[in-house]
Amino acid sequence: MKPPFYTRFVFVALVCALLGIAIIIQMVRINYTSYADDLMTKSIDYQGVHKLVYPARGTIYDRSGSILATNQIGYELGIDLKFVNDPESIAFAVTSLIDRLDYAQIYGLASIESRGESENRYFVLTSYVSKEKIQELETLEESYALRREQNKTTKPNLSGLVWTPMQQRAYPEGNLAANVLGFYNYFSRETAQGVYGIEEAYNTLLSGRPQYIFMPNNPYLVEALPNIEPGASLVLTIDREIQKMLEDTLVEALEWSGAENGTIIVADPETGEILGMASTPFFNPNEYWTYQETFSGITPYNRAVGSAYEPGSVFKVITMAAALDSGVATPDSTYNDATGVYWVADSWPIYNWNMGAWGEQTMTGCMQYSLNVCLAYIADELLQEDLFYQYLQAFGFGRSTGIDLAAEANYPLRLPENNQWVELDLATNSFGQGIAVTPIQMVTAISAVANEGNMMMPHIVKSVVDRGQQYDVSPQIINTPISAETAETLTEMLTFTLEEEASLALVEGYRLAGKTGTAEIPTEGGYTSSLTNTSFVGWGPSDDPKFLVYVWLEKPTISKWGSEVAAPIFRNVVEKLVVLMKLPPDDINQEIVNE
Amino acid sequence: MKKNLLQAYKQAPWRVQVQWIGLFLLGLVLVAAITGVYLNISAQAADTGRKIQGLESDIDDIMNDIASLTTDLAVARAENTMLSRANELGFSLLDPRSAIYLEIPGYDPDEKLVLAPKRLTTISEAPSIKASYTQSLWDWFSETFWNISRNPPQSTGEQVP
Repeated sequence: MKPPFYTRFVFVALVCALLGIAIIIQMVRINYTSYADDLMTKSIDYQGVHKLVYPARGTIYDRSGSILATNQIGYELGIDLKFVNDPESIAFAVTSLIDRLDYAQIYGLASIESRGESENRYFVLTSYVSKEKIQELETLEESYALRREQNKTTKPNLSGLVWTPMQQRAYPEGNLAANVLGFYNYFSRETAQGVYGIEEAYNTLLSGRPQYIFMPNNPYLVEALPNIEPGASLVLTIDREIQKMLEDTLVEALEWSGAENGTIIVADPETGEILGMASTPFFNPNEYWTYQETFSGITPYNRAVGSAYEPGSVFKVITMAAALDSGVATPDSTYNDATGVYWVADSWPIYNWNMGAWGEQTMTGCMQYSLNVCLAYIADELLQEDLFYQYLQAFGFGRSTGIDLAAEANYPLRLPENNQWVELDLATNSFGQGIAVTPIQMVTAISAVANEGNMMMPHIVKSVVDRGQQYDVSPQIINTPISAETAETLTEMLTFTLEEEASLALVEGYRLAGKTGTAEIPTEGGYTSSLTNTSFVGWGPSDDPKFLVYVWLEKPTISKWGSEVAAPIFRNVVEKLVVLMKLPPDDINQEIVNE
Repeated sequence: MKKNLLQAYKQAPWRVQVQWIGLFLLGLVLVAAITGVYLNISAQAADTGRKIQGLESDIDDIMNDIASLTTDLAVARAENTMLSRANELGFSLLDPRSAIYLEIPGYDPDEKLVLAPKRLTTISEAPSIKASYTQSLWDWFSETFWNISRNPPQSTGEQVP
């Protein structure tokens, strides 16, 4: 006998069983439909987030540990539609704080109705909002909360407005050393990279290695995130006090001389360390997006390394070094400048700067009075083309110095084996015309004269700090183009000529060696003699050089002569430099040594 | 008689019911206990996971704060700011001729800047996690009871007034 309600129980059991079977069939069926992949992808999304974590970019210090480039916090401002219930307040708050955003646009984005069927629940309004602006937003949110509580309403309300911290590059010194540092274009994190200067040259080291990490939503799977090492930090050879002094001096020099642009470099000839490098135009890397306005056209970012020019008579230092070192001349060798003109291959005349004849002169006199005809004679007849260009190549002309800055320019050296070379080049090259060099090439070459014949590799980075270890950059000798005796002799010659000339470059208490340069500027219509490039290179103290200063002013209007424009700038620099470098005057130094 | 004897050994129905109920309740208690332990451990694991997430977030916040403060400090000590302050206080650049120079043995005006922390010469050998997290339940029991039997809890010696 069947129990009561047996049929009903069987019916319910069958329905439940069929339902279960239907569910199982549906589960199996879904796995073979086109939605299966989508569902799998979504299920993976729900498991957590794969995130590319960027390490903090390395800090850049000057040689004494002052920060030149670091990171600070900016905020990404976005709207999460899931939590928005008062788009008016959000639009008002955001547009009142950030001028460039539009009320109607923000209101439209924040209104769920106006978003329609879009699945996008979060979108970015703007990036890198300052900490101060975010603090204002927080204050506003607190005041809104108070009003809601007092009025027992749900508005005004900023819920749904989200700010997320993110690191951005900061240059606390502003313009200072910007031409050396370069900048970091951080707005787009995926494509951000260092541009120009140290930021570009050491981009890989500074950036560190980004890592993909998985952040699970399931708390059981949460583990401590891997330690992501920040990018390497760099200690520069730059001394920010010297750099500041150079930039201030350069600004004053441009105002005083009417020059279009200028460059001043201070280097340690013993090590090749660049202590300061000022170049115009100046630039604030904190606002790197204004780059195009400052460096329009082909304006180089850093003229000291990125601009080649005909240096003029400062190049005579190289010619004279070659003559003394090869033995074709001594300081007392004579040249008779009877006519004031030197004929190259009986075809091209070379004149002195004042078109005059200076009579019989020693080599020291040739340098003192900067006689073009004398130097042309040395190159053309004493050194001749093979020896002259061998020395030029030994001094590094025609190739990059290898300084650790991005965008170093190099103008190839025109050699006798090139088709474009003519015999006139040999004569004009001897006094720095018809040859293009960068200021850093000149500094590197002349560092050999100031450093016992050893030409040092110019460098900006003093040490690298990476993963708790500090690696120092050792000074490197690139070449020894001249002997120590030649270097000493030439330094003594140029010290003597500076003193005899009563140059405007002289600094009381210090013996300095130096040479002026005035170069005509090549144009499409030939050389212009009214506008010039004025330069000065000097080093000291002569007995044991601790610094080498190179000054280049483009197209000064106050005077066209290097001796009247660049030489006093050199003096201004050295007067402050000896204080900043703690170098006592020669007599006091001698007393200390004697004691 | 035989039939009666068999009947005498049969459990009373209520006893059978009590035994079944007892067995069922025992199973239920066991399942509840295991579920309780499982839930407890799961809850702790989830709580720890959330704490880790919170701590990671705190680390991020702290790193951001450090970056901000470092920048603020660098801005406050920028060359322009320091020069302005020096000028306001009446300082000016030294005239090298008026300076008094002293020779200080061992003083290096261009002393090398050291930014990397000094390297540790000793490496800690202490394990980073407790043994109880890695050993088996049996090991844990035996070690715990072994320790208790060897070092029974003792009075701290404190005098209670």
